[in-house]
Amino acid sequence: MILSFAQWMQATAFFSALRQSWFVYPAIMATHLLAIALFGGMVLLTNLRLLGLAMTDRSVSDVVGQWRVPKRIGLIIVATCGILMLGSKAEEYYYNIFFRTKITLLALMFLHGWYFRRSVYYNTEEIDKAPEIPIRVKVAASLSLVLWASIACAGRGIGYIDPPLNKLHAQTFPAATVLERTKR
Amino acid sequence: MFIHNPLNDSELSFPILECIHIIGFTFSLGTIAVVDFRLLDWGMPHQKPSQLYQDTAAFTLVGIIVMIFSGLLLFSSDPDMYYLNVAFDLKMVFLLLAILFNYTIHRSAVLEDAGSRRAKAVGWISLGLWSAVIFGGIFLAFINEGLSLKNLLMIR
Repeated sequence: MILSFAQWMQATAFFSALRQSWFVYPAIMATHLLAIALFGGMVLLTNLRLLGLAMTDRSVSDVVGQWRVPKRIGLIIVATCGILMLGSKAEEYYYNIFFRTKITLLALMFLHGWYFRRSVYYNTEEIDKAPEIPIRVKVAASLSLVLWASIACAGRGIGYIDPPLNKLHAQTFPAATVLERTKR
Repeated sequence: MFIHNPLNDSELSFPILECIHIIGFTFSLGTIAVVDFRLLDWGMPHQKPSQLYQDTAAFTLVGIIVMIFSGLLLFSSDPDMYYLNVAFDLKMVFLLLAILFNYTIHRSAVLEDAGSRRAKAVGWISLGLWSAVIFGGIFLAFINEGLSLKNLLMIR
């Protein structure tokens, strides 16, 4: 069922056009990566603050609270670009082991956010009052850093899996034709 | 020409280096962006740009060092491909400009907590230069070897 949905999605006019343009797909990928870099800094600094390794002159409430909204905006940009890339080559991604790993890790990331929401990310005033950063907070921050780094690495891995050409129903735009076109 | 590069012995070395490269530039670009966003009045209103800069400068420097060294190793795996790639050339130009800008005009504007017009201009220029570096890095993988800027402009 997932596979037939993937085939239907990539066959839509929108995603077909996206796939067949030589520059739109890389432009979306570049925007995805750019947003990861620009907004990833807030994720890094927030977690390092929770570990007591960065921005120690600022309170935890200040750091976590002020970046909450910008981080969400960043996540929306990254996810939108991700979905656009996914839709244009859905069938290929379906078979990709690194893509499956990435989705599993993302699910774990959401579970992490849900599990530590009350005790850490919305409990910053208590953390600021505590004489030392509680161990639970440090565990949450370390897990977040490890998960996000793993998600980034799994994302990079996607490009290294050769697509199973005999199973695919849509041709991706072959890079070689870019040069062929210029010769005409 | 005939120097043996041990990086090319393992299939894993290139992707692992890429991951280190990405984590490196998340540190450098991410911490620079935090200051740029503050210059543009997007977030962190309780802190001055200079305070954020002092909080993050060490991470930025470590990130820049990691991304440059991992980048040099990636380059060494296939120098000819990169050398003949127009996206790579542009990436290097923008990288040089971005680093120079970061440690000169950007740094002085941030440390002086410059007035809003100058702060906004500096924030936009910084974000623009670093964006160009990232775009160059992605597009170099989608451009054929030997594709010049002239050829590229002829594609319709």
